[in-house]
Parts: sequence; C-alpha cells; structure tokens
Amino acid sequence: MIAVATNATMLIATPRRLPTVLLFGVAVLSVIVVVAVIGIWLTPYDPTAFAVRSRLLPPSTAHPFGTDEFGRDVLSRVLAGGHLSLAIGFGAMLISLLIGVPLGLLAAFHRGVTEAAIMRTVDLLISLPPVLLGLLILAVTPPSLGKTIIAVGLAYIPILARLSRAVGLGLLREDFVQAAFARGEGALVILWHEILPNAWPPIIVECGLRVTFAILLGSALSFLGLGPQPPSSEWGLMIAESREFLTQAPWVGLAPGLCLSVLLVSVNLVGEGLREWLDPQLTEHSHG
Amino acid sequence: MDEIQTTMHDALSGLHRPLLEIAGLSVAYPTSRGWLRALDDVSLSIPAGAVLGLVGESGSGKSSVVMALLGLLGSSARVRAAHMAFDGQDLLTRAPSLRGRRIGVVFQDTSAVLNPALTVGSQVAEPLLVHRRLRRSEAWSRATELLAEMGIARPAQVMHCYPHQLSGGMKQRVGIATALASEPDLLLLDEPTTALDVTVEAQILDLLDGLRVRHGLSMLLVSHNLAIVDRLCDRVAVLYAGRVTETGAAASVFSRPRHPYTKGLLAALPRPHLAHPGRLSPIAGRLPDLVATDPGCNFRPRCAFAGTGCEQPQALLGHDHQARCHRVGEIARMPWPAEVSHGSPVPFRKRSVVRSEHPEAPLVQATGLSRAFTTGGLLQGLFGKGGRGVLAVDDVSLAIRPGEIVGLVGESGCGKSTLGRLLLRLVPPDAGRLRFDGTDIAARPGLDFRRRAQIVFQNPDTSLNPRQTVGAILRRPLRRFGIARGGAEALEIGRLLELVRLPPGFADRYPHQLSGGEKQRVGIARALATRPDFLVCDETVSALDVSVQAVVLNLLRDLRDELGVAYLFISHDIGVIAHIADRVAVMYQGSLVEEGGVRDVLHPPYHPYTEALLCSVPIIGKRRGPTDELRSTKEADGSATVSGCKFSGRCPRKQGPICDTAPPPWQEVDRGHRIRCHIPLATLNDVPPWLPARLPADAAHG
Repeated sequence: MIAVATNATMLIATPRRLPTVLLFGVAVLSVIVVVAVIGIWLTPYDPTAFAVRSRLLPPSTAHPFGTDEFGRDVLSRVLAGGHLSLAIGFGAMLISLLIGVPLGLLAAFHRGVTEAAIMRTVDLLISLPPVLLGLLILAVTPPSLGKTIIAVGLAYIPILARLSRAVGLGLLREDFVQAAFARGEGALVILWHEILPNAWPPIIVECGLRVTFAILLGSALSFLGLGPQPPSSEWGLMIAESREFLTQAPWVGLAPGLCLSVLLVSVNLVGEGLREWLDPQLTEHSHG
Repeated sequence: MDEIQTTMHDALSGLHRPLLEIAGLSVAYPTSRGWLRALDDVSLSIPAGAVLGLVGESGSGKSSVVMALLGLLGSSARVRAAHMAFDGQDLLTRAPSLRGRRIGVVFQDTSAVLNPALTVGSQVAEPLLVHRRLRRSEAWSRATELLAEMGIARPAQVMHCYPHQLSGGMKQRVGIATALASEPDLLLLDEPTTALDVTVEAQILDLLDGLRVRHGLSMLLVSHNLAIVDRLCDRVAVLYAGRVTETGAAASVFSRPRHPYTKGLLAALPRPHLAHPGRLSPIAGRLPDLVATDPGCNFRPRCAFAGTGCEQPQALLGHDHQARCHRVGEIARMPWPAEVSHGSPVPFRKRSVVRSEHPEAPLVQATGLSRAFTTGGLLQGLFGKGGRGVLAVDDVSLAIRPGEIVGLVGESGCGKSTLGRLLLRLVPPDAGRLRFDGTDIAARPGLDFRRRAQIVFQNPDTSLNPRQTVGAILRRPLRRFGIARGGAEALEIGRLLELVRLPPGFADRYPHQLSGGEKQRVGIARALATRPDFLVCDETVSALDVSVQAVVLNLLRDLRDELGVAYLFISHDIGVIAHIADRVAVMYQGSLVEEGGVRDVLHPPYHPYTEALLCSVPIIGKRRGPTDELRSTKEADGSATVSGCKFSGRCPRKQGPICDTAPPPWQEVDRGHRIRCHIPLATLNDVPPWLPARLPADAAHG
C-alpha cells in the first residue's frame, strides 16, 4: 500500500531535509564541546585551589554549584574537566572505528581462514567484560588518560568489527558489487568505492551510540581509580570522589552527573538524528 | 443470529444482486505534496460464482483495491465510495468482520504470510477454531482434508511441517487452504502465482479453476500477467493509474481491445506462438503523477492516438464491453503502432564481428563445467562434515557464437544463474574448461577477458551503487580498462547514454531518481562501457513491467545488431526467450536437457521437460487443450535419482527402470538440435504440439 504511495513521489527528486532531532542534538553538543574546550579559561576560581574555610558549601551566587570537601569550586572543576570526558568518549570511538571497521570489512571480503582468524579473535575480546579489559590494561601500568582511551577503544572494537562485517556481507552480495568483480577490480577498490560508501551510514550511527557508552565506561574506569587521577576533574572521577558526602553535600556529585547526562543525551540525539537522516530505508526507496 | 439474518437476506435479494459491488471507490494517501490518488472512481462488480480479473502494471492501484475490500488501508488513507457492498453488507463499516470469514485472501508472497515459527497444521486450523468454532481435533482433521484437496501429497505429514520445509508451490497451496478454511464466498487473489515457476503456476491455476467449478467460489484475481487472467477469469477490468480504463468479458477484451492502453499492453507482450520478426511495441513514457491528477484522460501523454478533445473528462462508455476513451470509435480498427527504430547512432566504430577464419567458431565454449555449493562453515569443513553439498551446475557444455543470442530457460534453482557466472568466471568451477575466443581462460582471468565478457543483472534496484551518480557508475569501467580519459570520458559517457536511449543529462542523476526501466538501461550501459563481445543477461527484464520490458528487449536486440555482441540470455519466461533468442538451452537441476535453434525447441520433438515447461506457459486465447493432462494438479513428489535421468521422478513419459538407472544419452535430432533422453526420437516426434494451430487472440496483434 505504502509502496503505491511512494512509487510516484519517488520519481520527483526532493532534497532531503535535516531531521529536527539531529539539529537539536548538534546544537546542544556543540555548546558542550565549545564550553569543554575553552572551559579551562572560563573558570571563576582555580579548580585545584583548596579553601579550607569554604568546605562543602551549598550552591550560592558565589559558588553556583557549591564547593567540595576541599573547598574547591565545583563549577570551576566541571568546566575544567569536561574536555577529559569528551576526549575519552570520542577518542575511544575513533580507535574502535579505525581498527574495527577495516577488520570487519576484511573479514567479510576474505571468507574462510582470514575471516575465521579475525572473527574468533574478536569473539575473544567480547568474552572479556569491558571493565575487566580496562582493568587488565590499566592495572599493570600506571593509569593515565591515554591508556583509558585505549582501553575503552579496545573494548568497543568487537562491536564495530561485527557490525561492519555484517553490513559488508550483505553489500558484497549486491549486484553492483558483482559488477565490480566482473570488471576484475581489486579488493581495496571494491571495499573503498563500492562497499564503504554504502556501509558507513549504519556504522556512523552505531558510533554515535558508542560515544555515549565510551564516556560512561571511561567514567566507570575513572570511578574505579583507573582513569585520570586526582586532582584532575574528569566528570566520572568527580562523581566517584563525591560519593562519601552524598548525603551531606549531594551537589558535589550532582553537577558533573547532570553535565554527563546532558552530554549523553545530546550525543544520543545526534546518533538518532543521523540514523534518520542517513538510513535510506527510512527516507528513500521504501518501494517493494 | 447473524447467520439467520444473512440467510434471510440471501433469500430475499440473493440471486439478483452481485456478490460484490463497488461503485465510485476512491482511495487517497497523504503525502508531503498533497493527496496521492491511488484509486479514482473505480466501479467493479462480481456476480456469485464469477471470476473477475483486475489487470494493471505496478502503481496502477490494484493492491489498493484488495486492501480497501479488506478494510486494511490504515487510518491515514482516505477511502470514499458511493457504494461498496458484499452480499448486501456495507464493506466500509463491516469489512473487519467479513475478512477471513466470508472473504478469503491469498497473497503473492506466502513465505511472508505464513508464520515461520508455527507448524503448517496450526496455521490452517486456526481459522477453523476462530471463525467456525470447531473443536481442536475436528479442526485438525478438517485442515488435513483441506490440504489433501489442495493436491498436497501426504497431507498428514505436511500438517506437522514448518513453512521453511515446503517448496514455494506447496506454501502457496497452504496459503489457499488457509484462505478457504473458513469457507468464504469470495476469494481475493493478489498476484497469487507471480513468485512461482511456470510449471507450478499452471498447477495452482488448475487448482483454482477446479475449486471454482466444485464450490462455486467467486474470485477477484489481481495480476499484472494478462495470460493468467485470461486463463482463469470470465470478466476483466484494466486499471491504469487508479482508473478503470476498460472492462468486459475476458475473451472480448483480449481479442478486441478498445482502449489504447490495453492495445499497447497486448502489443508490448512477447508471445511465444507469434513469430516476431523484430521489435515489440512498447508504451513510451511513465505513469502520470498521481498527486496532481489530470481531469481528462490520464493516459493521454503516452497514447499513440491522443488528439484534441482528449483533455476532456470522460466516462466508461459502451454496453457490456466498456472503454474510457474519447476516440474509441475512430481507433477501433487501428493497432498500437510499432516503435520507430532509432536510426542507429553507431557510437562505436562497428567492429568486425567475426574475427576468426571460421565464422562458425564459438566465441564462448564451456566444456564439462561443474560447480557444487557446500553448506556449513570452516569448522564443519575441517571435521569433514561439510558433505558434497548441492550440485548447482553438473557437467554442462555450451557454445555461443559471436553475435548469437542463446536463451537459457529453467525453473528457479536449476542453476541458470550459476552457469551464467561460471561462464564469466565470477564463480570458480569445480571442474571443466572455459575457452573464450579460442584461448583457455585461467581460474583468475586477465583484464582482457574481464573487459570482453560482462554481465547485466535482474534487479534494477540493486544493480547500481546507490551512492554514485550515473556518470560515476559509467566512468569507472572506462578508467579501469583505459578506454577513455579526460575530456574523452564525458564524451564517451554521453555516447553510452545515447546508446541506451537515455538523455545525456542523466549522468548527474542518482539511481533513486530513475525509474526501474531507466535503471536497467544504465546497467546495460555500464556493461557496454567496456565494449564487450559477450554479455550475460541474468533475468534482465524479469522485474520490469510489460511496457518497459518491451523497451529493454528492443534495445538489447538492436545492440546485438549494431555491435555484434553475443548474449547468454537467462530467463524463466518462455515468451521472452522465444522473442529474443536465436538458440535455446533448457536446464533442469544443473544439467542441460535440450539445446537447439529457437524454432526447433518450440516444436516437437522435444524433451519431456521442455514439453512440460511449454505446456505450462499461459497464453492469451489458449483454452484447455489436449496437452493439459500432462500435468496433474498435484505437487510433483520427485526426488532426483543420482544415477539416472534427473527428470525421471516428474516425467510423464517415463520409459521404465532405465530412466532411473542409466544417465540419458544426447540424441541428435538435427544439426545443432539435441535432446538428452532415453525415449527414441521417433516417439518424441509424435508428441502433439503444445500450441493449437491458430489462436483467436492473434487477430489483436494486427
């Protein structure tokens, strides 16, 4: 039924409109990114300066988010720590993207031994819980931001590898790829020209969602003391440090928690918007 | 209560009123540009016990009629009707209580309709439990009876099967059984045989015909296939862009079409029994915009007879055989005009087609090609559990001469496509040799072979990369084989588009901006870009509407004449093969069973399988003939024998045990015509021809 309806409209090319969800998500996310990047210079107080007299002050005009157990201004610390959370989220996503997608596409292209080798290794990674994987890497060496990013990135390689393999397998069966084989094209040309342009929409969408999980996992690792170390003010670390005073001074954990939530929601909105925008199934040829 | 009322109603008004009556049905769907009018003032009626055919191409709105009758259009659709009644009950309000109970429905894709997680039995028995309130054991035994009536062998066993264990034809039989379980008065058939092989299609049509005779069932058959409508229906209505353009008795409409659209459809249809000297007559243009509808004749832009006055609104005129055309009287004796041949642009230098000294030397020669597909992954393979797998192509030898069109026919799954890909070395063979233009082709062929042997696909939606423009799609082969560079590239793309009769502006378009036929032509242009000598056309026209199919068939034939390209033309449609091919190879379960010139294969002697195929082809104007008993309405219960003839399980002319034990020999009938069968040629020669000498529909072909 719908097929009949779309068939005729399809013939007239309409420029695709950006979904509102995407615009809203991008707007919120850009504000957060800008604030996180220049936040260091916006801090009203030194984020690391102790002030014994103003310990655990509730929110006021002088300290809009209150102060923590050392009398440090929570707003300043949130502003100064945002770039760390973002770095973990996007950095880890980039690592898993750059390693996972080529692995997955190669596995799809070279069925047989290569595929089995890649996919079984990936299965091995999946069998380890992400936190445990992070612990393995971080426990043996001193923790640092870079290592957190690598640990989180490694944890998400299997998901992207499996996704791109599945997408690649479907696309390799398509006739236009068979036509490339009929021209005797090499593996790289086929993967780069024919497969990747059609595979990236679902992969990008998955990445959008992965950023969220990566930030959460990064925060969880920081919370466990395996991420950036005090006095750094990564948001997950701040939440971890605030748990002892949760009943007396909930604002200490609330401020970074809220910021993290807004960040996650905006990333999710971008992911959702991208899905709506890029997925040809949802917008274009729904004829059948 | 309800039933008593209905019976009384029947007694009072029953015989005078049609079972189904629709007057002025209009359906519209909301779109961003306004209402899309899928149906515009459609009136149909089906008397009790009659079968009405509803014919139209894709987008004509035929499925909307079915959905409107079932009340399944969804809340966003706008449905209006002056009168829509089934047996005196208003369908606009009562459809939910009638569908499934008194109106049964069979859809095209039964594998999507049957629930894969439930047994066949529980799905056939369900309407009996729900609508007829039988007890579970009664419902089960009644369902088993129904399956037996549908011609399913061993129904008690099939009841316990899951849908994936059944063949396509069996699933469609189960679908019909489910629809009939509640003993409906009207059966809606929405493209019921489109997904089936021609032999199975013939069996299903026989089954439906029998049901109608035995039970007095009324049916509405919705199809794009004119021949099956003619086979099954008393009356027919032709739908074009949401309007009924012509209606009347099936025999009358198909033998003396009045509306230009019907004339065009019949002229565009390749028919195996008519000698086509050359070209089909396509209908130019595409479906009109259904949002901004034309109050006048909406076929006008594509009509060969359109003149002044056609922009006026019009109604169905005539007494029993009605047509919606202003000029119906003037054009009554005029046939649809043949397509004017484009004075061939000859964009490439005309190559010497025959390059060797022997004009008969084959361009492509395959000897003993075999290919099996194994199931299971690497681990099963390592542990030796993979097994031999399915033998898709079994020891096939085939030769194709330069500039020759070889048709390859067979049922789905017989290995046609695999053979095509083996000839292009897209699939590596397990055994056999491939020679191309006199040289052996290695397992990994060089660029020269890749350039000279190309492929055109079936599905226009998947054959083009959706993220590349037409220009980019055509540019890639040009660069790959160093055919054109720089400025010459754009020139060459323009020539390729001209070659497939597309305007040069299409180079900037993306595939989703093209219609199915245009996409298919871009696919052909891409294959031609390498200037090949050999093309494999894998069901190239199967997904297209009849009018578009004619355009593509004419184009392929012209290209052969202009460029001397040889084709392997794979198709399940005998009409298409008979129209385009010079020679035909018939394939059954991976083996060739007959090979010869197109005229030889279409006439006796032929292989019993060829005979079964040909007798199953629905042809307009062909009534039940003496050949019909060749196929029973039962599902063939044949498992292939390993050592003997593969067809022996289904063969109606089986000789005896020799068919099961010894592989059949190739028998030479004539020069280039051979049959692989144990039956002596003299016996095969006495088989009655599958076509009566003359058919009434020939007259319509002008």
